[in-house]
Amino acid sequence: MSKRLWRRLRALVKRGELDRQLDEELRYHLEREEELHRAAGMSHEEARRAALREFGGVTRAKEECREARGVRLFEDLWQDVRYGLRTFCRKPGFALVAVLTLALGIGANAAIFSVVNGVLLKSLPFPEAERLVALFETNESGRETAVAFPDYLDWRAGADAFEEMGARMPAGGVLTGDEGPERVTGRYVTASFFRTLGVRPAAGRFFTEEEDRPGGANVLVLSHELWLRRYGADPGVVGRAVTYNGASWTVAGVMPPQFDFYGVNSLNNQFFIPLGQLSDQKWMHERDSHVVMVTARLKPGVPLEQARAQLEAVAARLAGQFPESNGGGGVRLRSYLDDYVGEARPALLMLMAAVGAVLLIACANVANLLLVRAAGRRKELALRVALGAGRGRVVRQLLTESLLLAAGGGALGLLFAWWGVGALLRLAPDALPRTESISLDGRALLFTFALTLLTGVAFGLIPALQTSKADLNDAMKSGGAGGGTNTGGRWLRSGLVVTEVALSLVLLVGAGLLLRSFWQLMRVEPGFEARDVLTLRLRLPDGKYAEAEQCAAFLKEVKRRVEALSGVRQVSLATGFPFGRASELGYRLEGRPEPRQPSDLPDAYAQWVSPEFHRTLGIRLLAGRYIEESDGTDSPQVALVDDDFVRRNFPGASPRDALGKRLRFGSEEDPWCEIVGVVGHVRQSGLDEEGRPGIYRPWTQLRRSMAVSALRAMDLVVKTSVEPTRLAEPIRGEVQALDRDQPLGNVHALAWYVEQTLAPRRFSMTLAAAFACAALALGAVGLYGVLSYTVAQRTREIGIRVALGARRGDVHRLVIRQGMGLALAGVAAGLLASLALTRLMSSLLYGVSATDPGTFALIALLLLLVALAACYLPARRASKVDPLIALRCE
Amino acid sequence: MGLDKRTDLLQQGTLELLVLRLLRTGRLNGWDIMQRIRVVSGDVLSITPGALYPALHRLEERGLVKAEWASSENNRQAKFYRLTPVGRRQLEAERETWERFAGAIEAILRDA
Repeated sequence: MSKRLWRRLRALVKRGELDRQLDEELRYHLEREEELHRAAGMSHEEARRAALREFGGVTRAKEECREARGVRLFEDLWQDVRYGLRTFCRKPGFALVAVLTLALGIGANAAIFSVVNGVLLKSLPFPEAERLVALFETNESGRETAVAFPDYLDWRAGADAFEEMGARMPAGGVLTGDEGPERVTGRYVTASFFRTLGVRPAAGRFFTEEEDRPGGANVLVLSHELWLRRYGADPGVVGRAVTYNGASWTVAGVMPPQFDFYGVNSLNNQFFIPLGQLSDQKWMHERDSHVVMVTARLKPGVPLEQARAQLEAVAARLAGQFPESNGGGGVRLRSYLDDYVGEARPALLMLMAAVGAVLLIACANVANLLLVRAAGRRKELALRVALGAGRGRVVRQLLTESLLLAAGGGALGLLFAWWGVGALLRLAPDALPRTESISLDGRALLFTFALTLLTGVAFGLIPALQTSKADLNDAMKSGGAGGGTNTGGRWLRSGLVVTEVALSLVLLVGAGLLLRSFWQLMRVEPGFEARDVLTLRLRLPDGKYAEAEQCAAFLKEVKRRVEALSGVRQVSLATGFPFGRASELGYRLEGRPEPRQPSDLPDAYAQWVSPEFHRTLGIRLLAGRYIEESDGTDSPQVALVDDDFVRRNFPGASPRDALGKRLRFGSEEDPWCEIVGVVGHVRQSGLDEEGRPGIYRPWTQLRRSMAVSALRAMDLVVKTSVEPTRLAEPIRGEVQALDRDQPLGNVHALAWYVEQTLAPRRFSMTLAAAFACAALALGAVGLYGVLSYTVAQRTREIGIRVALGARRGDVHRLVIRQGMGLALAGVAAGLLASLALTRLMSSLLYGVSATDPGTFALIALLLLLVALAACYLPARRASKVDPLIALRCE
Repeated sequence: MGLDKRTDLLQQGTLELLVLRLLRTGRLNGWDIMQRIRVVSGDVLSITPGALYPALHRLEERGLVKAEWASSENNRQAKFYRLTPVGRRQLEAERETWERFAGAIEAILRDA
């Protein structure tokens, strides 16, 4: 093989020499023949002609000899490229349209692929990250929960499919010291956590098992980012003591840079402290306190199924042993990557499919252009065949031309993609994971290259085969460029247009459904007024604020000072707010049967709030009263519930009927409290949440045992009369005037939180709509192009019709009918395809079915209208045909 | 290529086999081979130089024959072809195949 390649290369290099030899060889033959004929008595001239005749085509024989040597391939390629470029230059309009269309398709694909590659495909920054799995428990109703710490310990001891297993829990507090106060969030982690991930410290070390126990030394690990920013990358920080939540902690080590555990920018990666130190706490022993998150590393070669079976066996054993807490519970495992980016996957795959469809439409369009163009070149091609070019040769030439177009499209597309990736990153919601690994990298370039080649063949092959099949005689006879159409070509063009229309329809329906979902979501009544509200978190270090009274006094003073600021209308304090945070607690209603176990209690979102809370957020009062200043620590225990609570617990009753009833939260220490008011339901975690009822209690009536920890992390909810974020700095000033060491965290307008929950949908909807519009435009152009071409082809026929008395209207209708026939066929096929395909995106929809008849009908109508517009111009042109000119021009 | 493409393909193998057979006894130039084919096959196989030369070049490209320039009988430079060892093996193999094929055809024709 290599020998042959060598011969070919040599043939290429010594082309001139070999050609001379070939000439020489054939001349020798002809001369010998001539001599033979002359010997038989022919004249000089006769003998020469006879020899040539008998030879049977010297030029062609030479061509074939060259071909046999393999030179041809390279020579022809170069020739085709030059020829192709020349033809493009002669008609730059065609080439420009084709290249731009392709660049659009290829560029969009390369850009979206870069995102898919960065988010879903690129390997994670841990050694053998594919062995990492996320573990969860499930409760009786099959819902996924965090893991109870004792269960985690049993899993770790009882399943040998895992090499290591680590647990973690969110941690948050305040760092103080010379560097100033700073609110930081991090994680409690087990010593095994680091081994599970396989990370190495950038400096110092991680925890020892001894430190990961109650009474172990106070050690913490800093994130690389925090080390850089707060400690100026000081290598001496290891071993130094820092003040965290008022206590002294020793820095054991520093994490590697860009530690990407559920997000490089995840705030919970700022620092790490040993989880095991908490294991003497009561809730760390309770099997119904689902408090830790678990990540594990499979042993090499162990499949996920085996690990699942082992954990299920452990869970079953625990269920038998502890029916109270573990009965009916189960386990759930999924790969870390799935757990991390899984939610983004459906939207990204949908976008990839959409953008792929756009490229297909672009290909169909260019193929159509090529077919039309080829029809104009039939004579030229026929001539080439007549001069000895084989069909394969002609196909090759046409393919070279389409590959040239594709290459142009690919190069320009890469430019589009580069720009597109930048735009996508700006547009991407914060909720899109791994955005930092999105770039136009080698794999994306390779993808683009492959796509370009594939595109070139895809849109070039069919026209090339079709054209080269053209009957030679027919083409030569029928004169100029406008020569007779062959039926095959017409069918092909129609088929392509129908496909384009169908694909556009599918994309439009998909985008339409997403749009409807978004619209439905925007119409959802969140139950509160998010405008002009600023929220911020006050986190009091525990050393300094040991008592609840201290905290309360500080908070009241902050509230008083902020209320005095200009631009502030109302200030309230709360343990959380809608779209921010809320505690999920089980509750009991007085007089209702006690469930078998505490975990079966119904859940509610619980907030402890100051009296202004509901007025600040514009939450409606439906019955009774709001929380008042008079609801103090020692006054009767009261609660507000929302109408969802009433609906669930008192079906058919009016809000008023709930007043006077008593409820209490799950814990034994919680007091019974009287329902004194019913307010409107608030969407707590997102517009699309199904929701849990809400229970509100006065912040002054926080249960003693949880008062301090709750009061150390209260949210300030401020209704403003100016743009809310403009108050961030004045408020910070007031707080730090009170306590220099007091950092402010999570300073955001409430509207920002709402937008955060909408952003992922907005992102995929915007892109899908953009792609659908591109598809629609391309489809319309395709339809227009084919009709224009047909009208041009049928000028003579139309002329005859007009000459025979057809009216303008008839001609107009003729063309419109043809175009709309194609459009209708496309719409019908598209509707069928949509019915089959939109089901796949149902997880992305809200409040609209995947086969929503309204959307389908509307989109079909829209498409038909656009098609009608695309038909109009060619139809008008046809109806203006002057029979005299039409007949003369043939 | 023209309409005779199909017949070309059918004959191509035969022609190449024939050329290899002729070269078995020694080196020959294109014209020599042409004359001998005429003698051997009479007018049964209508082989033109236009088909022969590409066939020779194909054989050369495949390494079955080797070409060299030398003086011909009338003292002029001509391109001579000679079997390579690979070509010799190929000839044996092809001949066997051919004989089996021809034998089968003959048997069928006899029976019919």
